[in-house]
Amino acid sequence: MNPLIALMVIIPITCALLVNLFHTKDKTVKILSIVVALFLPIIPLFTSYGLHYFGGYMTLAQSPVLSQWVPASITNSALNIFHMGIMYSFGSAQQIFIVALGIIAFLAILTSLSETKKASGVYAFLMFMGVASMSAVILTDDIFNFYVFFEIIAIAQVGIVIASKVKGNLEAALKYMIIGGIASPLLLLGIALLLGVTGNVNITDIVYSIKTGLVNPQSPVLLMACALIIFGWSYAAGLPPFHTIKSEIYSRALPHGAALLQAFSVFTLAAVGIVILRIFSYLAFSKVIIIALSLAAMILSITMALMQTDFKRIIGYLAVGELGYIGLGLGIGTSMSITAGLFQAVNEAIITAFLFIGFGTVLYLTKESDIRKLGGMMVHTPKIALLVLLAGLAMAGVPPLNAFQSKLMLIQSSLNAGIPELGIIMILLSIVTFMTFMKAFYAIYMRSKPKGLKISNSKIPKATIFSLVVFLIICIMLGLFPQIVTNYLQPLATSLI
Amino acid sequence: MSLYDTIIDKIKQVQEYDKEGEPVTSIAASSTLAAEITLLSSILVAVIMLRYFSNALMIIAVLLVASIAIFAMPLMPRFKREQNDSLNSMIFYMILALGIITTLFYWGSLNV
Repeated sequence: MNPLIALMVIIPITCALLVNLFHTKDKTVKILSIVVALFLPIIPLFTSYGLHYFGGYMTLAQSPVLSQWVPASITNSALNIFHMGIMYSFGSAQQIFIVALGIIAFLAILTSLSETKKASGVYAFLMFMGVASMSAVILTDDIFNFYVFFEIIAIAQVGIVIASKVKGNLEAALKYMIIGGIASPLLLLGIALLLGVTGNVNITDIVYSIKTGLVNPQSPVLLMACALIIFGWSYAAGLPPFHTIKSEIYSRALPHGAALLQAFSVFTLAAVGIVILRIFSYLAFSKVIIIALSLAAMILSITMALMQTDFKRIIGYLAVGELGYIGLGLGIGTSMSITAGLFQAVNEAIITAFLFIGFGTVLYLTKESDIRKLGGMMVHTPKIALLVLLAGLAMAGVPPLNAFQSKLMLIQSSLNAGIPELGIIMILLSIVTFMTFMKAFYAIYMRSKPKGLKISNSKIPKATIFSLVVFLIICIMLGLFPQIVTNYLQPLATSLI
Repeated sequence: MSLYDTIIDKIKQVQEYDKEGEPVTSIAASSTLAAEITLLSSILVAVIMLRYFSNALMIIAVLLVASIAIFAMPLMPRFKREQNDSLNSMIFYMILALGIITTLFYWGSLNV
């Protein structure tokens, strides 16, 4: 038992409640938010790997005191090793995910507080609540607990969009809620079917039941559960047919909010993907569907990004398109491809946050996001332009930046798996991603300034520049030394095969 | 009418430039052309993967995509119109996707 594991969820929830309570006290909200946000990436670094049992309920096999009071018919059955309560599992992959999430959350919160004159306790509450729920989704080994926190993330996402005060935000949030109101219950139905067949909500126990033949793995109810969970997965991550609404909610949030929203989507995609692989990897067709959905996300989103004229929408679509790379890694299903997919998840969350906050400076100075009405920003913010250009290069997979390493691993793994077509598509779409980015970059920074464009004289906050520089350092570090992350992801990837 | 003119007309329709009387910019035209080429080439490469299930199915799919490419171009303006922000479209495609996933799952898990 390691109490620090639970603190990764409890601390941000407590902070969320406190900033909401003190929402009228601007200074208190700022100090509390920054201090707690700073601890988010630090706590997982000092937490040792292991399990945390809520209520102290270990398995009967692990607690001889309890098992002596239980009839032998139970201790001699599979129930002896089944888990009785909610369990959090913290390993090296979870550590990397929560550290990356913590860094993005800290920088998004820091940028948010520096770019707004008056700190919003409600906005900070939603950000912390989302981070706490995301940490729980990454940690939990209980599929129902997983669903509960998954729903809280969805509510926090809607709240962040509503609190953003961007034109069209309320309509986008309402649409996301309505669509979630249809898609989420279907995910819950999938979980309920899984519970109905296996009699269990603990993922480790469900996997044990299926692998040891306690339940019929080819049961039609299990097949339907898998289909519904994959459908819920596409909603959570923003894979087609949800790519349109996902990119819309990114574009209707403030840039720092969007940076956090996309991180939630990326880590949810990875977390649900891992659950699907753990439970249903014996169904070959589940991987086929994962590959098909991922390809659809890449092709539809990246081509749609090319057609957009709003830079927030362009990044939104590119972010959804990049999710496809993660899905392909999981779908190919080899140790190397899963490691590459999870590495791509870490990289993409960081790069997209980098891009949202970088392009957010344009919105901060001009209050305009239509690239047809923008131009000449290179003259006003040359250093920011360089940082944004590097972020775009990172997203396209240009060496020596981080996505180059993960995309190269993905392409290599597709070739090793005997599916070169996937490698060709990944290369093609990376080139188009770069082209799409350059279209926005050229229009905003390199073209001459349009006559009607008003650019504010106010300076970009130092906290925003600091955030961008930190993102850049991480991109370069992970590009030069990918083993910093891949060594931590490898054990989980190997265990999923 | 050349293919380029057809594409420009479609862009005008989709972006409703006709109403505003604005010309189609070179950025918009080249973006649409690039998206069109990307879409078709990606789908063509993707359908080649059907060879893992059946060579005949792959040949039929490639011929079908090639026919669509020849007779129904440009596709991107249509795709953009379909992937709009309307709640009705989103719900329609969501239900369609759910139907496809569950049907394919039942068929695929028995046959793949």
